[in-house]
Amino acid sequence: MTEQMAHIVYLIAGVLFIFSLAGLAKQETARTGNFCGIIGMAIAILVAMAMASGLHSLVYAAIALGAVLGAIVASRVAMDKMPELVAILHSFVGLAAVLVGFAQFLKGDNSEGVEHLIHQIETYVAIAIGAITFTGSIIAWGKLSATLSGKALTLPGRNLINLGMLVALVYCGVNFCQADTQADQLQWLYWNTAVACVLGVHLIVAIGGADMPVVVSMLNSYSGWAAASAGFMLSNNLLIITGALVGSSGAILSYIMCRGMNRSFANVIFGGIASTGGGGGSGESKGVEDCQVVQAVQVADLLRQARKVAIVPGYGMAVARAQHGVSRLTQKLRDEDTEVYFGIHEVAGRLPGHMNVLLAEADVPYDIVLGREEINPDLAEMDVVLVIGANDIVNPDALENPESPIAGMPQVEVWQSKTVVVFKRGMATGYAGVANPLFFKENTRMCFGDASDVVEEVLGALD
Amino acid sequence: MKLGVVRETFEGERRVIATPEVVEKWVAAGHEVLVEQGAGDRCSASDAAYEAAGAKVVETATAWTEPELVLKVHAPNDTEIDRLPEGRALISLVYPAQNSELIRRLEAKRITSFALDCVPRITRAQPMDVLSSQTGIAGYRAVLNGAQHYGRYFKGQITAAGRTPPANVLIIGAGVAGLAAIATARDLGAQVKVFDVRPPVKEEVESLGATFLEIESEESGEGVGGYAKEMGKKSQDAQHELFRKEAANTDLVITTALIPGKPAPLLLPKEVVEALKPGSVIVDLAARAGGNCELTQPGEVVDHQGVTILGPTLIESELPRQASDFLGQNVTRFLTLLSPEGEMNVDLEDDIIRCMLITREGKTHWPPENIPQPDKPKSGTAAAAPVTVNEPEDSGVGKYMFAAAILGLTLLVGAKAPKDFIEHYTVFVLACVIGYNVVWGVTHSLHTPLMAVTNAISGIIVLGGILLALTTVSKAVLWLSLAAVLVASINVFGGFLVTHRMLKMFRSDKDRKGGKA
Repeated sequence: MTEQMAHIVYLIAGVLFIFSLAGLAKQETARTGNFCGIIGMAIAILVAMAMASGLHSLVYAAIALGAVLGAIVASRVAMDKMPELVAILHSFVGLAAVLVGFAQFLKGDNSEGVEHLIHQIETYVAIAIGAITFTGSIIAWGKLSATLSGKALTLPGRNLINLGMLVALVYCGVNFCQADTQADQLQWLYWNTAVACVLGVHLIVAIGGADMPVVVSMLNSYSGWAAASAGFMLSNNLLIITGALVGSSGAILSYIMCRGMNRSFANVIFGGIASTGGGGGSGESKGVEDCQVVQAVQVADLLRQARKVAIVPGYGMAVARAQHGVSRLTQKLRDEDTEVYFGIHEVAGRLPGHMNVLLAEADVPYDIVLGREEINPDLAEMDVVLVIGANDIVNPDALENPESPIAGMPQVEVWQSKTVVVFKRGMATGYAGVANPLFFKENTRMCFGDASDVVEEVLGALD
Repeated sequence: MKLGVVRETFEGERRVIATPEVVEKWVAAGHEVLVEQGAGDRCSASDAAYEAAGAKVVETATAWTEPELVLKVHAPNDTEIDRLPEGRALISLVYPAQNSELIRRLEAKRITSFALDCVPRITRAQPMDVLSSQTGIAGYRAVLNGAQHYGRYFKGQITAAGRTPPANVLIIGAGVAGLAAIATARDLGAQVKVFDVRPPVKEEVESLGATFLEIESEESGEGVGGYAKEMGKKSQDAQHELFRKEAANTDLVITTALIPGKPAPLLLPKEVVEALKPGSVIVDLAARAGGNCELTQPGEVVDHQGVTILGPTLIESELPRQASDFLGQNVTRFLTLLSPEGEMNVDLEDDIIRCMLITREGKTHWPPENIPQPDKPKSGTAAAAPVTVNEPEDSGVGKYMFAAAILGLTLLVGAKAPKDFIEHYTVFVLACVIGYNVVWGVTHSLHTPLMAVTNAISGIIVLGGILLALTTVSKAVLWLSLAAVLVASINVFGGFLVTHRMLKMFRSDKDRKGGKA
């Protein structure tokens, strides 16, 4: 196969990837989109294999092994473990970028002058980004799978530390480009990798669990930039195109997540929410005795009388794996001609769109699952809103109290409805550590217990 | 504490301050309750029911003299005040601004009195706000009374006997009564238009499915405490003009405009009434305060050139049981605040108590100091929220600076870099732009699948590994690139597969039905 031909096939693959992303924008076209991606990837790999005559068998073996491992992981993972899977997959791209970078460096190139310098910089940058993505994603995985604490670890002067490491990276880079022998250069490359790895860890460790949706999509973006920089290094347009697509897509997702929390990107990365433990709330400290506690039977009564019901799920639903019960409850209510809607906040859960995936898994039709902006205007008409394991996304203080640490964060305004029932394990605050006056509102009822158990009890009482 | 529930003597009044259900709660809270004979007989609460609830039914005189605290709906008249022994306590409507003589007498008898109509407009006090609970009932009933005098259907219908258009209802004043009226009229199938001088209520009106009428006016009618204030002459004329225009196409007008402590504003002068079609109905809920309509006769039904004008003065009393239930709930909340431990504790630090206290130990406490500002948004309307929503990362200057930086960098690259690099850079920038535009439209529910698919395709780095592995001669490079191929392949296969799994789960109602067929 000629080189020109290969370029054309790469172009086709690139276009297929664009279709793939465009297809993923809508439910109706999403499956076609995924299919486009698969085709694009397949022809790209085949052409790459046809391009050179090396040890094909070894490469095929590596791909086959990767395919088997990938397939096992992907088919075994439970839907509520999706955030962890996505995070760990990001780390693989980062690792691959580092490995390719080192391989390319060791292979060496015979260009000279400016061109040589640029190639060196490209290699250096590809390895740095890859390493940050690699360790950052591993930390994110650890936090999401609760292997590591979800709390933000904030070292004193951590922004200075970050800056220092960035300077160190540049310093190593300059030395790397100026070093004479390959051995010296390799030395600096190791330093580069080490510093970038530490930077990746430090960046993500400092971000609290509630901000994980942003982190995951940010790392998604990084993995794209890592691929793109590898493309520069290898002079491969397809890698550049794909990397740039993924990079910008991840960046946009991060932006959307940040907007969902009314925070700037810089604020998420550099300044976590201060855990005030209820301070800055309504100024009154209230306890269980100030809210109206109900039992599952009473919730069932409320539901039986309701004509319109909205369900607002949060991370608590995922933790309790209550989505299947919620789905059956939905089915039951709909069978009795009650209108049921779901209201999903952008940052509910630990991954962008986390709730949607869980609900889809539990067979809830996607056309009754609405976004925050779609459902807010209709909430006043709802007879009952069930808040299942959500807290910081249904906090009226965010809109009413400028002192609140989450002031300005858009909310699912459940309190506008006639009755709100909050399913909750206890009176603890949410991830942001902020008190929630919703629980004490006149039209709010609290139903304590594990979300899954409570939903089952309500189902039982409805029979 | 010993509480007394007395019979209302106000003419036409059918409500009672506490129904047996409420009395039961008081008894459970440790109070002793005396109920005057026949207190609830006009709202289907018999003496027997009160007794069953744990109260003692007593003669009129006993009901006034025995208890430490007497509760009733209306302000006591002269006879009633005479019955009340010195130094006792009283909870009722007072309307202190209009009833200075009453306050003087309460003061002279050293009575501790609380006005149910002086609940401050703060969120914490909402459960005690009798004005809200009662005017909500008034709004509902106003529509029903209007419908009773209106000779047609409210709902538009096409029948074999002909076609009838829906009734057009104009509601003036979208306070609690107005909003309740909107909902009721909409439920009956009417088309509803609403006017209010306070622009912020537009959102609430529209949320109930009514149309909000506006006039060009520089003046906002929002006064202290979330109530309306009096408007200037110019805006008044503009209003009358608007109503006159609307009149030609209106079947039922409900006016609810009240200004605290002042006579009701004139909204419907005679010429507006005459612009209505014969058969139309006006329900003037402000009749007690003089009426919003020039021709209103409080308590009467007036027929003016075929237009019926209702001026009910005690409309809440037409739903006596519902109104009494609500009153009881409101008062119970206040009692809990006033006597947390069973004995009365007049805590002047508390905003609610301070606002409602009228007289105590021979001194007048009204008007209160430091009226708390109403919580905004009342019951949570986002539009009026004082907290602004920032546009993160999107301030104009930052955006332009970012663009300028990118442009500068690009020019720098152009000046220094070799041709090869420029080509790659071109591809890179274009791909970024494409990615940006393609992904913006993604629906929220697909964020996770999108991320999984981008994850899979960023496994394209496998290509780098393959190319290096196939073209190298060095062992080290070979193994490094094979390792890269391995991890990247996990990504490719894992990513696509998991996306497929997720997408398979997303099904709509339509898919489902199709699947079953």
